Amino acid sequence: MAEQRVLVIGGGISGLTAALEAAEAGYEVHLVEKNHYLGGRVAQLNKYFPKLCPPVCGLEMNFRRLKENPRIKFYTMSEVAGISGSEGDFEVDVKVNPRFVNDRCTGCNACTEACPAERPNDFNFGMDTTKSAYLPFEQAFPFKYVIDAGNCSKDCGQACKAACKYKAIDLDMKAETLKLKVGSIVTATGWDLYDTSKVDTLGGGKARNAITNMQMERLAAVNGPTGGKIQRPSDGKEPKKVAFVQCAGSRDENHLAHCSYICCMASLKQATYLREQYEDSEVEIFYIDIRTPGRYEQFYWKVRDDEKVTLTKGKVAAITEDASTGDVTVEYEDVLAGKKQKKTFDMVVLAAGMQPSTKDSAIPGISLTPEGFVQPSALKAGISAVGSTKSPVDVQRSVQDATGAALKSIQTLVRR
Amino acid sequence: MTDTETVETTETTETVEKVEKVEKLIQPDLQFAKDVVAAGGDSLKKCYQCATCTVVCNVTPEDNPFPRKEMVQAQWGLKDELYSNPDIWLCHQCSDCTAYCPRGAKPGEVLGAIRKMSLQEFATPSILSKLVGSPSGLLVLLALPVVILLGLISAFGNFPSKLPLGDEIVYAEFAPTLLAIDLPFTIAFFFALAMFFLGIKNYWGAMAEGKKLSGSVIASIKGVIVEILTHTRFDKCDLIPKRKISHMLLLYSFLILAVATGIGFAREWGHLLGMELEHPLYIPMKILGNIGAVALLLGLAIVITNRFAKAAQLGLGSYFDWLLILVISTVAVTGTMAELLRIGNYAPVAYWVYFIHLVSVFFLFAYAPYSKMAHMLYRATAMVFSKMTGRNGA
Repeated sequence: MAEQRVLVIGGGISGLTAALEAAEAGYEVHLVEKNHYLGGRVAQLNKYFPKLCPPVCGLEMNFRRLKENPRIKFYTMSEVAGISGSEGDFEVDVKVNPRFVNDRCTGCNACTEACPAERPNDFNFGMDTTKSAYLPFEQAFPFKYVIDAGNCSKDCGQACKAACKYKAIDLDMKAETLKLKVGSIVTATGWDLYDTSKVDTLGGGKARNAITNMQMERLAAVNGPTGGKIQRPSDGKEPKKVAFVQCAGSRDENHLAHCSYICCMASLKQATYLREQYEDSEVEIFYIDIRTPGRYEQFYWKVRDDEKVTLTKGKVAAITEDASTGDVTVEYEDVLAGKKQKKTFDMVVLAAGMQPSTKDSAIPGISLTPEGFVQPSALKAGISAVGSTKSPVDVQRSVQDATGAALKSIQTLVRR
Repeated sequence: MTDTETVETTETTETVEKVEKVEKLIQPDLQFAKDVVAAGGDSLKKCYQCATCTVVCNVTPEDNPFPRKEMVQAQWGLKDELYSNPDIWLCHQCSDCTAYCPRGAKPGEVLGAIRKMSLQEFATPSILSKLVGSPSGLLVLLALPVVILLGLISAFGNFPSKLPLGDEIVYAEFAPTLLAIDLPFTIAFFFALAMFFLGIKNYWGAMAEGKKLSGSVIASIKGVIVEILTHTRFDKCDLIPKRKISHMLLLYSFLILAVATGIGFAREWGHLLGMELEHPLYIPMKILGNIGAVALLLGLAIVITNRFAKAAQLGLGSYFDWLLILVISTVAVTGTMAELLRIGNYAPVAYWVYFIHLVSVFFLFAYAPYSKMAHMLYRATAMVFSKMTGRNGA
């Protein structure tokens, strides 16, 4: 008899969907997530396609499904350390890292208020800081605080503990390893944003007001570091003239050899954030090719027809900062005009690409492509991969893919 | 005829012209693209026109910049567009473009291949271009100086077996200066000069057709000479270490060796006219010759080391590149060895090393208009032309 359980690795939109679909079909599911919250990259977006709704609308619904379904057991702050066995009978080692906050946490915020130490806020891509005892964002699920031990000295932990009247803080928590027995596995480990400071031709991360597209999402998000007001990092000035630099690392064999699929749409979308916030703003998008697959083309037309939006063919290959004003100058060849030019902007958004998470943290026993994606054809029977684990993809296609993978993983259980 | 009709006629003519122009533009010469690939530009088709190359290039003018434009022209087979302007030669193959190219399309290597094809198209007779252009021609090219020199030596000189071993080595007894050296080398030199003249004339003609030239030729040439002697454009190359130094070493060693050769030639004629001459190592001719040789060897060592060190990133280079590097290396190494062997009085090898030296020098001179050596004149011509047409950045 096969283990009647599915393991889903990754709690982003793909993994959540796969887990919920399998559970709602009546199967037990273990969901393992590296972060201390579920929702993955979608949670960091301001709005997402196709409906341009904020992530709350999609995630909220999924969290509700998850809360109501007793068949799903999820582990945050957890990583898969090893997979053994075969289809129908896998044994998986899962390392669960300490949160230092137990289930008694009510989310009262007392520990944050009392905490003396701060940490860079990775949820906002380093644009602000949080206390070392914190909740990453208001809608975080599970709604439980966490202590960043790396940025919290001993006294700091004690201060948090003393402030918690619910005895929810347990500074003695240790990492533990669980052994999960499952019949099938779905990997949905998603992507990391490519580190654009590695790209010499884009200023090597030196220009303060050359931000990434994900930072732009956070700037525009109501729960972001500026409360949704788009302002540039160096001085808080309202950026009225903004450049978007496409293929910031993508389609470049020195960086990411693949097309990251979503960045053209992301920049077009972010152009609308800016145009909606500042009526007198101007946007210029520098591209090699504008790639808006399928029906996204219509969104492209809409943005293109805004007379304050200019699309210029030519990849930006030099970025410099004016140290006194903070303005950013980009250098490019206007290919259609045949002119090498420089132009100065208040702010530049780098359309950084997707690097598969497995590139830096591979799942033991799972073969990868040279770019670091999971190689679907090399997966063992009983294991399937979903969404951007295999290739860059958008949310709606990830979700469809996840539903398909849930069915596949159920078939594995039923077949045996 | 009414006014309306006139207008219509004009419009029709214009439309026809436009259509013809467009047809010409989109008519691809696929063979040309294949030839570029064969000439060493095998990465050509990887280019997707992002223009990173143009931006990272520090030597391009800003208006109508290169090398992105050249990449698409080559892909489309627009041979005339490529050959009839100075741009492919304004490129100094710093290879910054190749290093940053996101597709591995190696614009530096592709432009190098196009330059080879361009100079061989303008050079005449074309049979020599073909022989120099591919490894299959190498034996024929080598056979010519070997046969000529062996013939002259057997007619007028002495083979080493007939020379008294153990005595001082006198290369002139092996290959008599006047008949075995001056005769063939003067002919080779003037042949090369004449062929260079014809090739450059063809190139200038192709560039100048229908274009407006301004500015004085003399002033432009002067400016270009100063630029070449100071190697200012090489300063703009970011990536290859010491490229300016190695290329300058090569240029100046050639100039120094040319002066030394000139002095030698004059002394020899003095000798023929009855002057008694000795050639100790401390006379200016020898000092210059030796300085030239050391500079040449050093320059070559840096060039070759750089080629290998950067091969993975920038490409190893084509047969055409390596033919010149190897010929010059042979000239430098055998020249230096011939001198050392003479001083060391090691006769069994010395004469044949000297013979290889003569063959390689002949090779270098006689085939210069068809080999990469020709870059010096084609590039200089392109630089003069760009000055006279107000091409900025030039």
